[in-house]
Amino acid sequence: MDASLVFAQFLSGLSRGMMLFLISSGLSLIFGVMNILNFAHATLWLVGAYFCYTFWFLLQDYAFGLWLSILLAALTLAAIGALIEVVLIRRVYQRDLPEQLLLTYALVLILGDLIKIVWGVEDKLIERPSVVESPVFIFGMPFDSYFIFVILIGLSVAVGLWWFLQKTRYGHIIRAAVFSREMVSALGIPIPRIYTGVFALGIFIAGLAGAVQAPVGSITLGMDMAVVIQAFCVVVIGGFGSLLGTFVAAIIVGEVYAFSILFWPQGALVLIFIVTAFILVIRPWGLFGRPTRT
Amino acid sequence: MMRYWWLGPILIAVLLLPLLIGEFWVHVAIEILILGLFAMSFNMIFGYMGQLTFGHAAYFGVGAYATGLLLVKTAVPLPICLAVSMVAAGIFALIIGYFCVRMTGIYFAILTMAFGQLLYYIIFQWYSFTGGDDGLQGIVPPEWLISASAYYYFTLFIVVAALIVMWFISESPFGYTMRSIRENADRTRFIGINVRQYMLINFVVAGMFAGLAGGLLGPFNRSIAPDLCNWHQSGVPVFMTVIGGPLGFFGPMIGSVIYTFLFAFVTGFTEYWPLTIGLVIIFVVLFMPGGVLGLAQSKLKIMGAKDLAPEEQESTDTETY
Repeated sequence: MDASLVFAQFLSGLSRGMMLFLISSGLSLIFGVMNILNFAHATLWLVGAYFCYTFWFLLQDYAFGLWLSILLAALTLAAIGALIEVVLIRRVYQRDLPEQLLLTYALVLILGDLIKIVWGVEDKLIERPSVVESPVFIFGMPFDSYFIFVILIGLSVAVGLWWFLQKTRYGHIIRAAVFSREMVSALGIPIPRIYTGVFALGIFIAGLAGAVQAPVGSITLGMDMAVVIQAFCVVVIGGFGSLLGTFVAAIIVGEVYAFSILFWPQGALVLIFIVTAFILVIRPWGLFGRPTRT
Repeated sequence: MMRYWWLGPILIAVLLLPLLIGEFWVHVAIEILILGLFAMSFNMIFGYMGQLTFGHAAYFGVGAYATGLLLVKTAVPLPICLAVSMVAAGIFALIIGYFCVRMTGIYFAILTMAFGQLLYYIIFQWYSFTGGDDGLQGIVPPEWLISASAYYYFTLFIVVAALIVMWFISESPFGYTMRSIRENADRTRFIGINVRQYMLINFVVAGMFAGLAGGLLGPFNRSIAPDLCNWHQSGVPVFMTVIGGPLGFFGPMIGSVIYTFLFAFVTGFTEYWPLTIGLVIIFVVLFMPGGVLGLAQSKLKIMGAKDLAPEEQESTDTETY
């Protein structure tokens, strides 16, 4: 095995990791701020992919059709996220864990069937624009040029989220709400609106990730199932609520997957779990999480 | 024992059931018993230990595959197959539980789900051994259990025996230690109890009963598919327990009656069962907190109501991480 193959595999792991980061960052953000574990996160990611397909289908004759579709799909998902928060999630903040989990689990079931009703059971395929159609050659190894785009999107979302949470007023409010809802609320900031915004933002990133994923291969029913587990592994490894942890863990999981494909194709998922279990034994709260949560 | 007078009439009714109803409903009744046992084993972890597992279908599936593989590939008698199912599920619960009992609350839920899903992928991909996503076909019960009513009585016998054992466990010092861990793990640790070890034992025992329930399923359906271990299947006992009420001993069984009847009824006229049950779950969560048994208990004070802990205590417990 020579260095260029290793590098190509590293890049493919990086693009996989960036995709996982896009999915898990919203999951981790929603959990960190609202203490709600959204089982339906990956299903909404898939809905984003289907919306991207529909917008692309309508806009395919135009220049930038695909890029516009990706943006439109993400915005649609943000609206759906806000709707879900206002209609359903808001009612269960005060409830016990099983009821909250059952609610998002019910969303998985409902959305799964709705996808079937709206888009049918056939696989959907998006034709890529010529810019990202042919592979690029890196050290003489062919590499899917679209993956470069995925990596760039992942990095910009990571930087954007970090900037938003650390440097803006809204980011400060959100981080304050993680520590004490009551205090933030006492300062006259409407907590329900913050929560709706955070949920919509999380689902926006999930929708963006789904839309970016859509042209990678065909869009199929049940794609969300494999992804949701990997996303959970990422947030567990990284530590819940930690953006940096999610970023690092996503790259770890992506790289473990990419390199295990070379040696033991069926065992890629198993290996991810072994890594997860190992990290849990030495650091039960994840790489960048806090030891205890209050 | 006078508090449990109502068990008498129910037992008589359950024994006479196959004489009164058609074969289709006998099948429904068998499914209620199997899924009810599955849900009650889940409730050993949820109701008694206070931890929510979202990966319980893994042990159900391991049990189903153990009995299924033995019946298809060997000539081992069914009762021994079921014992093997329990042991196999117990071993997997031991391995997975070793990692999961380190966590509580939402982390416990995620970890159990993730590991359960890992098991699902192994079964799904291991074509040569498990048949992969084709599943296993031709799991035929022995000659004396071919008819629906015979299998019904066999299932009834196994499930009632299992419930009696579970009842004794729940009333034993071990069962009360579990309740104590549920209410306050720290104080339980202070009185010298190895909380993690007790939780692991409970996790394994619950996994074994789930394996037993799974073992009963294969010969009943004549086939099994890897979907049995999927996390969709893990949501079923959660829903049954929430709708039936987790703090009464029989709550999950009542949930199983409701869920399975609904399934038999709804799938009669629509293929969109997930959509339907999803809407039902949302309705129950939003408008029926405490479940059916919770509703009945507040009115009738029956069915092991002494187990019912005050609402507030339960809720503070699940928020402790």
